[in-house]
Amino acid sequence: MDVTINKEESKTIVVLNGRLDTTNASKFQQDIEPLMEGDNPDIEIDCTNMEYTSSQGLRLFLMLQKSVTSRAGNLILTNMKPQVKEVFDITGFSNIINIL
Amino acid sequence: MEHNLDAHCQMILDEYLDNLDTYQKIQEIVIDKLNECIRQSNITINAVEARIKTEKSLRGKLMLKGYKYNSIADITDIVGARVITFYTDEVDKVAAIIDKVFDIDWQNSIDKRTVLELDQFGYMSLHYICRIPQSLYDDPAMPKVNQYRFEIQMRTALQHVWATMYHDTGYKSGIEIPREHLRNMNRIAGMLELADEQFSRIRKEITDYRRKIQSLVADGDFDSIPLNGDTFRSFLDLNPYQKLIDKIANINQAEVYEDNIFRFLDIFLKMGFKTLGDLVRMNRECKDGAYQLALHQLAGTDLDIVALSIAIQNLCVIHIVKNYGGEKELKHFYDCVHGPSDYNQQRAARTFKQIQEINLK
Repeated sequence: MDVTINKEESKTIVVLNGRLDTTNASKFQQDIEPLMEGDNPDIEIDCTNMEYTSSQGLRLFLMLQKSVTSRAGNLILTNMKPQVKEVFDITGFSNIINIL
Repeated sequence: MEHNLDAHCQMILDEYLDNLDTYQKIQEIVIDKLNECIRQSNITINAVEARIKTEKSLRGKLMLKGYKYNSIADITDIVGARVITFYTDEVDKVAAIIDKVFDIDWQNSIDKRTVLELDQFGYMSLHYICRIPQSLYDDPAMPKVNQYRFEIQMRTALQHVWATMYHDTGYKSGIEIPREHLRNMNRIAGMLELADEQFSRIRKEITDYRRKIQSLVADGDFDSIPLNGDTFRSFLDLNPYQKLIDKIANINQAEVYEDNIFRFLDIFLKMGFKTLGDLVRMNRECKDGAYQLALHQLAGTDLDIVALSIAIQNLCVIHIVKNYGGEKELKHFYDCVHGPSDYNQQRAARTFKQIQEINLK
């Protein structure tokens, strides 16, 4: 899975490509760790080209969400494909994570 | 314009300047101890604040009545702290805490709430003149920390508002305030006193109501309990969705993330539920379907984390399909939970199809 991080003035945009699963979850964790501190907490994750997320991915989104909200910021996941959204739906995570 | 002090007052002012480090130490101890004790007592406080009288302010005081003091030790408000509570009865609780922590100079302390006559309204505050006991702080290099007195004022937020506004009128300036304005200030004091009393009464009534609800919930008398924020909170204390979520989690030996399910109160109200009995009935009549739906959705996956809210969400979905129909109502439900979107139509169609497949209807 490819991860691209662009820091803009008002927020950080993370672009995910491919599958987020147990084989690359720790790499994704390393990629997002720098985003868990600092004064500019708002993050948008563009999921246009994200093919799948495993439970490990859900845990990482949850961890990021907790970090962002503790700094009064917002995490939003955008442009998610229906089959990926279904994972959030059937686990109840679409009640926790803001998906637009 | 700064006037020169006479020799006596200048001596007191010099004493003040020489002992500023002592006053700073006193202020530090007082504010730390007040915060610590109030935190431990679980009283919700509006503010705890402290200040050291400025040189300018002390100079003004000495100009007006410096003759009353023999030394700086006679002036008891060089360090002043204030505890502002929300409720009148909490002023007395804070006073009891302060009595335990500091040595009180009772002769010079005053309860201004009791000195007003029956037909008077005005400044209401409790003032304690205190010293720091050696049991709290003992440094031979700074003996005056235990000798100098300081003042703690205790009052409610409304009393504080009045006192601040009254202070703003400049009553300390020595300029006479027109009688009409003073009368208006005192009328407001009477009104705020009534408001303080009402706030305390309302709080007591709410506490009594919550106790009554907790008792009804504990007795299981759910049909007589209206659904609202208080009752739903008490209901959730019984963990009514625990069995279902545990069963759902067992499908994939999943971890349960306990998300905020209080937000479903609004959804339940929109669904027309009126009592806790309605929630109990939904749980009883729809729990098997809610589990079957989760089984259908999760069994073929390796997803090993679920949110607690999935139990409630599935209960609602099954309840809606059983009682009201199909996709349109499900779309409306998802719109209520997540906000309107085209995706909700797709999700409603998918869920409805899955429910048909598990043959619940």
